[in-house]
Amino acid sequence: MEVQDKELEVRGLNFYYGSVHALKNINLPVYRHSVTALIGPSGCGKTTLLRCFNRMHDLYPGNRYEGEIIFEGKNILSPDIDLIDLRSRIGMVFQKPTPFPMSIFDNIAYGLKLRGIKRRTELSERVERALRHAALWDEVKDKLNEPAYSLSGGQQQRLVIARALAVEPEVLLFDEPTSALDPISTAKIEELAVELKREVTIIIVTHNMQQAARISDWTGFLMLGELIEFDRTDKIFTSPSQKLTEDYITGRFG
Amino acid sequence: MIKGLRKSPVDLLFGTLTAMASFVVVVLIAGIFIALLKESLPAIHRFGILRFITTSEWDPVAEVFGALSTLTGTLVTTFLSLLFAIPIAIGIAIFITEIAPDFLKGPIGTAIELLAAIPSIIYGMWGLFTLAPIMEQYIEPFLQETVGRLPLVGALFQGTPMGIDLFTASLILSIMIIPFTASVARDSFRLTPEIVKESAYGVGATKWEVVKDIVLPYSKLGVFGGVVLSLGRAIGETMAVAFVLGNNHELPHSLFDAAATITVSLANEFTEADTDIYLSSLYYLALVLFVLSFITLAAAKFFLLRAERRQSR
Amino acid sequence: MTVESRRRLMNNIALALSSLAALTGLFWLVFILLDVLINGIRGINLSLFLEDPAPPGIQGGGLRNAFVGQLMITLFATLIGVPLGVLGGTFLAEYARGRRISRVISIVSDIMVSVPSIVVGTFVYALMVKPLGHFNGWAGAVALAIIMIPVVLRTTEDMLGMVPWTLREAAFALGAPYYKVILQVVYRGASTGILTGVLLSIARVAGETAPLLFTSFNNSFFTWNMNEPVSSLTVTIFQYAMGPYEDWHTQAWAASLIITLFVLFITILGRLILKWRFGGSAR
Repeated sequence: MEVQDKELEVRGLNFYYGSVHALKNINLPVYRHSVTALIGPSGCGKTTLLRCFNRMHDLYPGNRYEGEIIFEGKNILSPDIDLIDLRSRIGMVFQKPTPFPMSIFDNIAYGLKLRGIKRRTELSERVERALRHAALWDEVKDKLNEPAYSLSGGQQQRLVIARALAVEPEVLLFDEPTSALDPISTAKIEELAVELKREVTIIIVTHNMQQAARISDWTGFLMLGELIEFDRTDKIFTSPSQKLTEDYITGRFG
Repeated sequence: MIKGLRKSPVDLLFGTLTAMASFVVVVLIAGIFIALLKESLPAIHRFGILRFITTSEWDPVAEVFGALSTLTGTLVTTFLSLLFAIPIAIGIAIFITEIAPDFLKGPIGTAIELLAAIPSIIYGMWGLFTLAPIMEQYIEPFLQETVGRLPLVGALFQGTPMGIDLFTASLILSIMIIPFTASVARDSFRLTPEIVKESAYGVGATKWEVVKDIVLPYSKLGVFGGVVLSLGRAIGETMAVAFVLGNNHELPHSLFDAAATITVSLANEFTEADTDIYLSSLYYLALVLFVLSFITLAAAKFFLLRAERRQSR
Repeated sequence: MTVESRRRLMNNIALALSSLAALTGLFWLVFILLDVLINGIRGINLSLFLEDPAPPGIQGGGLRNAFVGQLMITLFATLIGVPLGVLGGTFLAEYARGRRISRVISIVSDIMVSVPSIVVGTFVYALMVKPLGHFNGWAGAVALAIIMIPVVLRTTEDMLGMVPWTLREAAFALGAPYYKVILQVVYRGASTGILTGVLLSIARVAGETAPLLFTSFNNSFFTWNMNEPVSSLTVTIFQYAMGPYEDWHTQAWAASLIITLFVLFITILGRLILKWRFGGSAR
């Protein structure tokens, strides 16, 4: 097993929704420029874990973290971390496409404009680059000024990925990104994820085990808030070391 | 809905009864329009339509009646009150939906709704005995000293501050419609999908940027509908302004002039109208008011329905 | 200033301004309520409730006539308005459910809810005062009922709509005719909601003044007779506040306090019932 750089490292993470102990002592490395899948039965905490990486839980009261997530030598769970900066470096794509109520161009340019980029030429250039990365450019290049709602569901999801890519994040979080899409659109997103790992580190939550097997390099299996097993994807899917993992993979529950 | 269900005679009877009850609303709204039209016919014949709304004279002795001064009063108070109310109402809605910690959301929401429940006559009482003297002694002289010195706008603040004027009336009216506008705006804000807000936070937007770029565009139709609805309220409000406007039929030149609105004229003069043409002219005013508010409310409903439909898409 | 710190500053300014807006709203509420409370409490004494008005300019007297008049007018308005509203709402939510007519009437009611109440007053004047030649209590009750009907109708429609359709199907399956299903199952399921709607509509009309000015008018004497002009608290407040006597002003404040307490009490009660019935999510 070759040695890889760690982009993120979760150490002793506990998470509480009020009094509910949702994540229990999670330890997990996330390797740079790889795809890490988080799988497990619904309610196991995989999405909760994903939302720790960009501190999405901070939007709601009563949530509490313990432990550390190390990103570039700093603990991003510490209270003095700048969430705005963090979230622009760790992007997120949701279960359903979330276009903003503006044009296709402005959707992509939104994050850039927030960062103070105003020059039209630079904006156009970076919008185009992001759309090309998300394999959407050819489909939308003639209608950049149309509202983002006019796109199909699959296109909207790639638009959202392009929007996240535009600000050049180091990490992208995917929260079941294909659960609302048809098989063809799903295939495109999967292809895209594999493609993108050359530039960003990807963590994906999925309920679809085939999807995890197809696109990820590493897989973590969670159950009831605990990380049962973490290993290379091929290892997890061929010879898991834990009985629980095997039962889940072979469809005995979940 | 219930097709193929055999109906008993009682069912037919009960169904008809409910149908008739619901048609009462339609009959009423049509009846109001017809009754007002019928009662104002003599005045419509005498003064015409265009001439009525462009004449400012209102002279019961000479029996010459025009709606311009009251219409002006109605439009000015409505416009000013919206000007005061909208920013505050939207601020309140933002506070309740996005900023307030959970333990404050409920109480503040309730407080705002209690403000809406206070009867308008209470606003009138309070305006006359408490607010008007404060306006007269402190606020209006202060405004004259400051804004009154400016070119152009300054002209709006001339005259002796008496506290019984367009400005005070508009302020009371705005306090009255704030909770109303705020609760419609809050309901529209809540229609913004949480997940879209999260993805804006996900690209590093601040709370204000999320409100400005996501929530407001998402809910603009609904908020606009709410504003128009408040406009309808303000146009038709009587008691909150009746105490502090002075029922003066001269065309106002300054915000510190006493004036009259359609509603205030009706409240003060309706029972005192001693000639047929006087009463008919008052009905004519009521008709103008009814048509104005009907159009406004129908427009508001249109926007709110469109907003709803867009959300459910 | 860097882009970052400017954004942060803008954010803080905007959030501070909206907090200030909320404070402004609270400020007016507290100001008005305290003012009504302080001024009103001075005028509250037994004779306010037990005596009729003294002749103008004479000290003393009370507002017994107005209390009784207000109760009568509101009571009869409720007796007229609530059945019509509930039945009408039943048509929209049951017999005409999903039909175009239901939607149209629903929209017309929403518009009707906001028709200026003084216009309703002029309408009832033409209908019930002018033909009779004198103001009367019935006209006041009808004017308030007209304001109540669309409110009750829309609430009933909404509340019936919240009763799960399967509940009706279960009753149909037992062979019950529709009217029995409505009366025995659907109404029972929606009863608290409808009751709240009725309470809120009473709160709404209890504070109305404008529609009474030209209908029930005012009466300085005590009467049970709804065919005569009938005094009400709200019209009395208007008349007394605009009048020249200090004593009148005190009584107007006292009447304002009582109306305010009554309306707020009913409103809060309605909200509590809703909360208790539907949990915290009810608005």
